[in-house]
This record gives sequence, C-alpha cells and structure tokens, in this order.
Amino acid sequence: MLAVTNIPYPSWLNPADNTWQLVAATLVGLMSLPGLAVLYGGLVRKKWIVNTMLMVFVGFSATLVVWMLWGYNLAFGPQSHFGPTGSFWSGFIGHFTPLSTAGAEQGQAVSGANTLIPFHFSTATLAYFQFVFAAITPLLFLGALVGRLKFKAWLLIVPLWITLVYCVNAALLWGGGFFAQKGAVDYSGGYVIHLSAGVAAFVGAAIIGPRRWQDRENAFPSNLMMVAVGAGILWLGWNGFNGGDPFYAGADAASAVLNTNVATAVGVLTWLLMDMFFSRQKKPTFLGALNGMLCGLVAITPSAGWVNGTGAIFVGLIAATIVWFAWNYLSRIRPFSKVDDAMGVVYTHGIAGLVGGLLVGILADPGMVQYGVTGAHFKGAGSFSVGGWFYTHSFHQLWEQFLAALWIIGWTAVGTTIVFTVVKYLVGGLRETDEVLSLGDVAIHEEEAFPEPTFGEPLMTPSHIHPDNV
Amino acid sequence: MKLVTAVVKPFKLDEVKVALTAIGVSGMTVTQARGFGRQGGHIEIYRGKEYEFDFVDKIRIEVACTDEQVDQVLDAIVSAARTGSVGDGKAWVTDVERVVRVRTNERGPEAL
Repeated sequence: MLAVTNIPYPSWLNPADNTWQLVAATLVGLMSLPGLAVLYGGLVRKKWIVNTMLMVFVGFSATLVVWMLWGYNLAFGPQSHFGPTGSFWSGFIGHFTPLSTAGAEQGQAVSGANTLIPFHFSTATLAYFQFVFAAITPLLFLGALVGRLKFKAWLLIVPLWITLVYCVNAALLWGGGFFAQKGAVDYSGGYVIHLSAGVAAFVGAAIIGPRRWQDRENAFPSNLMMVAVGAGILWLGWNGFNGGDPFYAGADAASAVLNTNVATAVGVLTWLLMDMFFSRQKKPTFLGALNGMLCGLVAITPSAGWVNGTGAIFVGLIAATIVWFAWNYLSRIRPFSKVDDAMGVVYTHGIAGLVGGLLVGILADPGMVQYGVTGAHFKGAGSFSVGGWFYTHSFHQLWEQFLAALWIIGWTAVGTTIVFTVVKYLVGGLRETDEVLSLGDVAIHEEEAFPEPTFGEPLMTPSHIHPDNV
Repeated sequence: MKLVTAVVKPFKLDEVKVALTAIGVSGMTVTQARGFGRQGGHIEIYRGKEYEFDFVDKIRIEVACTDEQVDQVLDAIVSAARTGSVGDGKAWVTDVERVVRVRTNERGPEAL
C-alpha cells in the first residue's frame, strides 16, 4: 500500500482539480492557437492570411511576457488599496510585481482579495489559466483591425492594452476589486473579455480608419474549411473557458460545460432560421450559422454556471436574435455604418457579451454554482450563488450587472483611445501605406499563405545565389 | 492543319473527351478558365454581404487536327457539350502553320 507521505505534492493540492484546471487552460489556449489564427486566416482575403495569423501568434506571446512580469499580480495579486476600505480605489488594481520566484509559482493559489477559499492547485496553474483569458482578448479585437493595422503598432498595442485596460477590468470584476465587492458577477469573461474586446474593436477601428475601399468591396473569405476548423476549436475550447471557472473539477464545472454547449447550439439554430426566413436572400449560410454560434458562446460566458439549462437555452435564443438584428440593421446606422469593424467584433462579442452579462441579472438560478463549496452541504466562508429577477423578484443583481457594464464600456473606450493614440505617435501612424496594403503579406513579410513556385529545376547551385550555402 | 479552341461548361469535359476520342482525335489540352458571355456572373453571400462574381468557371479545350477532320471535331464538341441553355460556350477554328513533335522532331500532319 502506498504511503500517503510519498505523494510528492502538498496536502492542499488536489490532483483532479489541478489536472482539470491545466487541461481547461490548454483548451482555452487552443482557441487562440490555432483556433483564432485559422478562423481569421480563413475569413480574410488570401493576401492577408500570413499577416493575420502572425499577429495572433505574436499577440499571444506578448501577453504572456507581460503576464509574467506584472500582468498577473496587477490583475489577480493582493490589492493595492489606494483608498479607504470598500471605496472604489481600495479595490482598483493589484501590484506591479513579477511572477518569477519558485515560491510564487509553487505556492497555493488564492484569490486576490481572499474572498474565496484557497484553491486546491498552485499559483502557476491559476496564473496560466488566467493568462490564456488575457491573451485571447486582444486577439478578439484584432479581428476588427486586420487588413490595415501596422505590424509594429500591434507589437506595442498588446502589452499596453493588457496593462491599462485588461488588468484593471479583471482586477475590478475578478480579482476581488470594487465591482466584485458590490456583487456584480462575470462567470468567465462576458464583460472583462467579450464586451471589452467589442468596445476596443469599435474604438480601435474608428481610430485606425477603414480598410482600402477596394479591400472592403472584395472582402470575400479565403477558405471556409479553415473557418470550420477554427470555429470548431472555439466551440469545444469553450468547454475549458467556462468549465474551468468554477476552479474545482466538480459538478459546477460539468453544469457550466453543458449550459455552454446548449446555449451555443440554440445560437446556431436561431441565426440560421433568422437567415432563412428574415434575411433578404432567405438562404441558410455557413458563416451566418457561425455568427450564431459565437453569439451563444459569448452570451453564455458571463452566466454559464449561474443559469440552469432552461436559462441557457434562453440566453442562446435572446442573444442570437438581438445580435442578428444588430448585425443586419444597427450596422446601417451611424456611428456603426461609419466604422470599418472588419469582422464585426462589436456585434458578436460586444453586444453578445453585454446581453449575456445583463441576462445574469434576470435568469441566474440561486440553486446553481456555489463558489467555495467543498463538500455536498458545506456552506462555509466564501460560498455564494447568484439569483436573478426571475427567481428573486428583485432587480438588485440586474442593477449591479448594469453598473459593471457601464464601467467596462467607459474604461475600455478611454483606455483604448489612450493606447492607440500613444502607439500612433510612437511608431508614426497606425496604418501601413496604401502601396503596402494593395500587396498585403508579400510586402510586409515576404511570405504568402500559398506560395506557388514554378516547376523548373534550378540551373545554378545554391552557392551561386546564396554565397553562404555550400 | 487547324487548331480548334472550345470554351465549354466544366461538367461537360468528360463527354467532350469521349466524343473526340471516338472520332480518332489523339490528344487535347485542357485549361481551367474563367470568362463572361451572355450567361453573366452570379452572387455569393458572405456574412450577410453580397459579392458579385462576374466571371464564370469554364474549361478551355484545345485540339489540333487536320483540315479534313475539322468539321467532325466541331460536330463532336457541339453534340457533347450542348445543354441548350445560355452559357454552353463557344468554339472557334484557327489556321496552324506548322506542328512539331518534340520527341522526334517530326513536322507536319505526322506530328499530330
């Protein structure tokens, strides 16, 4: 029989929780690489595939370096307490400290403001899990900017935006900051990630200006099969996105996964039927169905563990319907008609995230997730659930959700404007020149997605062309 | 010698090939092509936006033959590629001054 003392990890660590958290984090990471890389690559014109995919990989890398140096502790570390306890400035952000020592990585993970019971895995696990969420956020608003954003500008936008916008929003809603203390909830990032990405997409696209009109007129996608691959990875990757946020590999995780999938399925079908019966062309389209998929995924994100199965079905139905109308009609009205959001991020992420976040205040079932519950009947420190109007007949939760949404929209708009303006002066403009834009990948990277060599055999040895080769 | 060039609907290619082989044509060159005629283009919808595709996919067939074979070749192409609807394509005949078989350097009708 194995002696308990031989287990090579501390007693506070639960291997199932730790494993699930790392698997969930990896699933979320796959949503960016290769998920968004091939989804975007398939949606842009052929001449923009390489540029778009590289920006996805680079954004992911830049966020991780920032995360290790200061991002994690700024968003999730102990709070700075700039003001009196309970005030806004008391729960604003954490500290600018790196996550670099053995003790910092190997120790038990705790929530920033100690509002939850300590987790049953290490800080490294929590930091990596939270990193993949941070990383996907700028990659989402990248979708609005492709096809004209200067590559150097992107290298600076990501670290600055993560620091100024993402870390602050995450600390306020997730790190135990002001809005968390007030009672606003965001299960997995409907606000901190999707609403914020949608606002940043819209503001960023407005500042950079539209793509060339020739590119907008000819904006047909390069490869729908790659779009299918990326979209499929997003959907199933979302099992980690929402399934990882109970932070325990228990029944809550399973409910969040199931709710996520049913909301998404309903989103797909809703958009498809809207297209078939109410669109001008009356055709079922693949890319339309995928918009519905995104609406379901995004809208269930803030509520995945708070609503029950019926609630999840309504979330998918309501979000996909509202976003369908926004996509088809709101997009014709100023200011939406004047801003070239290349992939419509403000609709499928911004509006869907807002709708989902508000629906928490209506549909959340108090019998669902109870954070911090370790045993079947344990109602110890930090355990709580969320009740929406439908169950509590009180608008309290909806009001808290509304205030948090206002903050996210306002702060993201201001922060994005600051970041883009600063970067504009640092790199001398946010756009590539029109000549570069007309050529795309080859002009910027001297690479193309589908190189077409000639079939002739070379006449000279390589050493003639490249003197370094033998 | 003549060169018959035909632009036909892509799904008719195999029928044309069989018809040409049946009358003794021993080779043809096929290229994927796009063009417009009376048929016009079509619309595709991506993410709610309509895109006009002005040029229609076609197959361009080139057959070199002797002067005597020309009408037989044209008949074969017409009977095989015809559907009766707009967009069936065109075929035209041009004079060929000289033909050479690269392997043997044969010239003239023997090279066909």
